[in-house]
Amino acid sequence: MNTKLSTNLTLLAILLVLTAVISLLLPGQFLTGRNFASMGRQFPEYGLLSLANMLAMITGGIDLSVTSVMSLSGVVSAQLLSRWESLPMSPALVILLGILLAFAVSAVCGLINGALIAYVRVPAIIATLGTQGLFLGIAIGITRGSGVGGFPDPFLFIGNGELAGVPMQFLIYLAVALLVGLLLTRTRQGFSMRMYGSSPLVSRFSGVNNEAVLMRTYLTTGLLAGAASIIVISGVNSIRPGYGSEYLLISVLIAILGGTDPAGGFGTALGLTLGIFILQVLQSGLNFLNFSPFFKKFMWGLLLVALMVFHHFRRRYSQRRAARLSAGEREPVAGQG
Amino acid sequence: MKAALLKRSEFYLLLVIVVFAAAITLVNPAFLTIENLFDLIRSSSGMAILAVGFFLVLLSGGIDISFPAVAIVAQYITVNSIIALGIDNLALAFAIAIAIGLAFGAVNAFFISVFRIPTLIVTLGTMNIFHGAMLEFVGTKAINAGQLPNCFKVFGLVEVLILPRGDGTFYGLSVFFLIILAVVLITWVILRFTVLGRVIYAMGGNPEAVKRSGFNLVRLQFFIYCYVGLLASVMGIMHVSLIRYSNATYIINSELLHVIAAVILGGASILGGTGTLTGTLLGVVMISILEKNLVMLGLSSFWQQFFVGLIIVLGVSITHLQKRLRERI
Repeated sequence: MNTKLSTNLTLLAILLVLTAVISLLLPGQFLTGRNFASMGRQFPEYGLLSLANMLAMITGGIDLSVTSVMSLSGVVSAQLLSRWESLPMSPALVILLGILLAFAVSAVCGLINGALIAYVRVPAIIATLGTQGLFLGIAIGITRGSGVGGFPDPFLFIGNGELAGVPMQFLIYLAVALLVGLLLTRTRQGFSMRMYGSSPLVSRFSGVNNEAVLMRTYLTTGLLAGAASIIVISGVNSIRPGYGSEYLLISVLIAILGGTDPAGGFGTALGLTLGIFILQVLQSGLNFLNFSPFFKKFMWGLLLVALMVFHHFRRRYSQRRAARLSAGEREPVAGQG
Repeated sequence: MKAALLKRSEFYLLLVIVVFAAAITLVNPAFLTIENLFDLIRSSSGMAILAVGFFLVLLSGGIDISFPAVAIVAQYITVNSIIALGIDNLALAFAIAIAIGLAFGAVNAFFISVFRIPTLIVTLGTMNIFHGAMLEFVGTKAINAGQLPNCFKVFGLVEVLILPRGDGTFYGLSVFFLIILAVVLITWVILRFTVLGRVIYAMGGNPEAVKRSGFNLVRLQFFIYCYVGLLASVMGIMHVSLIRYSNATYIINSELLHVIAAVILGGASILGGTGTLTGTLLGVVMISILEKNLVMLGLSSFWQQFFVGLIIVLGVSITHLQKRLRERI
């Protein structure tokens, strides 16, 4: 796949140049093991949400409810985990049940999204915008707006521990990204998702059950948000509904930065991961240069729009080239504007 | 047939509002009074204005989630500039706010029409650009009633109709009512009687057809998004005049879902091309009553967000199921 390779090579080049520039700007600060370990701890939370939005975008949709699903499954799981001392079972069992609970809740959320999009045929934007309010609303209702915390110690290992010096959540992210990559490249579901994203009609006439493909897609995005919630609650030993609401923008931004086509049909786990690294390097550089979180908010918005403008020109260029190749020197009909 | 169905959905919404109002009146007889009605108009006028703007975007087949950011940024910058300039004048305040609103609307329209980027992604980006830039470059400090210039405070208290209470005191209808009236009337005239309005409806239904009929989509989109920006900035000024406090993070988190819920409840479809202003206003009434009276029906206010989300999900589901049934017949 030519576009796949060239997109990912471009991303790799950007990442390397960016790393080099920031290392030169911040000698002795950026290029240190400690900084890399801290970066590896920061990104998995929103990295998993970005994977979720990439999958939704490959089918031509979007999942605006990821941060709310993260809040809800985190809150429900925290209800159990924070009561571990008074429960008549071993902490290990509580932890296991807590994790299962987080996945169960996020799976239900994902299936609700999937049903709305696949069977009721509500456009993904509006369906997930609605469930964003709904799921967060349940989380706020359960906790009455306040935070929940105090989990068994071994549970905190997931979000704070290290394995051979590598942060646990980094390893979890890599494993999940690998699974998502395999899902996209090695399974029928992955192929169907891309085909559906390119053309729902072609997909339907090829005998694909479009509804089932969408259900599985949003089930997966839900589960990814659930995995993110486990990392979050174990990392900070508490959860407050609405935590990480700024990740929504970042997850959409990273998906697009990683080469995913928001119109559907294209996206790779490797590209996405490179996109995350680029953003994390930028983020870390901005931190060292003492930029405020507000400036970052501004920057990410700007980057998202700039990327889309770039995509526009690239699309136009490739259309022109295709037209020239197929029809000699005849120019395509000029677009508006 | 389509018109009949739509009329019916508005009729049902009205019915729900009547039943809901009756239920609240049973619990609290003070609900169904003119004084409370005036109060409801005053406090929900901001949401109504935002809803009219969002309705227009939805009608054209787009979606704009940046309007709460435009409202708060226009408000905060205006209040700060009025303080800095030392000219305590409401007309100047409106002029500054509207200039900001129009400029932001034009930015949205520029990216949407010239580069043909999906409207959701553009406005997700610009929402963060506008708000982030304001927090970074203008400030984050809240402005309390003591520091707030007089013109806002006076504006918030102007009443156009004053009625006596039983005990000899008076209550009145806020000037905000005239603003909503004007906005609704202007929007209605545009949608109903101008070519521009008819084309906006058509755009939501089939943009390609509009383009082929010789209309300039770029110019249309500039009109739509500037209009939304303008309405959002007016709402920003009304909001600060109402609560006498300007906080750099208000509106942005609270209003988006409420406004979307109101518009969708009113029968406008995300697919564009359908919906009426009457429906939108009924939706605003429904959400405002719900927002203020959940507690009265024995439900904790913590569940408010849940209900708003539920309304959106059920509302869009019903609209789309209706559409599917209609297509099958």
